[in-house]
Amino acid sequence: MSTTTPAGIDPRGPRFGAAITSALLLVTVYLALDAATLNIAYYLLSAATVLFAIGALFGNSKHPYGWIFRTFVKPRLAAPKELEDPRPPQFAQGVGLFVAAIGLVLHQLAVPSGLAIAAAAAFIAAFLNAAFGFCLGCQIYVGLQRIGIIRKH
Amino acid sequence: MSADFRLGLIFGLVALAAVAGIIWRARTGKAKKISGGEQIDLAEIGAIKDGKPVTQFGSRVTFLQFSSEFCTACRQTARLYRELELVHPDVLHIEVDITNRTDLANKFNILQTPTTLVLDSHGRVTSRIGGAVKQQTIQDELGTFEI
Repeated sequence: MSTTTPAGIDPRGPRFGAAITSALLLVTVYLALDAATLNIAYYLLSAATVLFAIGALFGNSKHPYGWIFRTFVKPRLAAPKELEDPRPPQFAQGVGLFVAAIGLVLHQLAVPSGLAIAAAAAFIAAFLNAAFGFCLGCQIYVGLQRIGIIRKH
Repeated sequence: MSADFRLGLIFGLVALAAVAGIIWRARTGKAKKISGGEQIDLAEIGAIKDGKPVTQFGSRVTFLQFSSEFCTACRQTARLYRELELVHPDVLHIEVDITNRTDLANKFNILQTPTTLVLDSHGRVTSRIGGAVKQQTIQDELGTFEI
C-alpha cells in the first residue's frame, strides 16, 4: 500500500456523480446522431470534458456533483458502511477526461460519428459505475501499466 | 437519421451497458479451479504482513491477494479476508501491492485487481479469484480445505 492514504470519502458520492454523468452523456449521444443537433452535442461533451477535468485534477470533493451530493443527498441518507479511498474515482475521472477529449478532437477533425462513439464509450463506463459499482481503476490500471502506458512511479 | 431510429440506438446502448454489467457482476469474484498450479515463493513476491516478511503459509489455506493503488474493490476484498482470518487462525491472508511490481503482474498474468490466488498449506495455487471476492466464494474455498 502507498505510504500516505488520503482521508476516506463516502463511496456513494462518486456513484451519484456517475449517474448524472451517464445521463448527460446519453443525451449527448442522442444529439450527436443527428447532423442538425451535432453542435449541441459538441457543447455538451465539452461541458462533460470540463467536469471530468475538475474531477481528475481536484477530486470528487471539489467537483460540483460532489457538492450537490454532500449538500442535498447525503443528509437524507444513513451513514455509509465504510469510507473509500478518493483516488480510484479520481483515476476514473481521468480516464473519462481522456475519452471525452478524444471525442472532441475527432469532431474537430470531422471524423464521422467520432463524437457519438467516444460519448457512448464514456457513457458505458459511467453507467456501469453508477448502476453496478464497476471500478475502472480496478479493471484497467494494471493492464495499462503492463503495456507501458502508465509508468512506474 | 429519424428520431425513432436514434431512440432505438439509445435504448440499444443502454441495454448493451446493462447486459455488460449483469455479466460482469455474475462473473466477478468467483473462483476458478487451477490444476497443477505453481508453487508460490514468498520471498519473490515480497510478502509482508504487519511490517514483517511472511515466511510460512497458512496451515489450512492462504489467500494471496494482489492489489493496486486505484482500486476500491481491493479494500473491500481485503476486509473480508481479514475478518475470515480472525475467525480461523489456520487461514492466512497476504496482500501484495503490484502497483510497482509489473514483473509480478506479468508472471501471474494479472489484468484486474484484486486478483486472489488460493494456496494450499504447501503454497501451491489451487484456484484463482478475479475481482472483488464474494462471501460465498470464500466459504466454498474454505470448504475444499476442510480438515
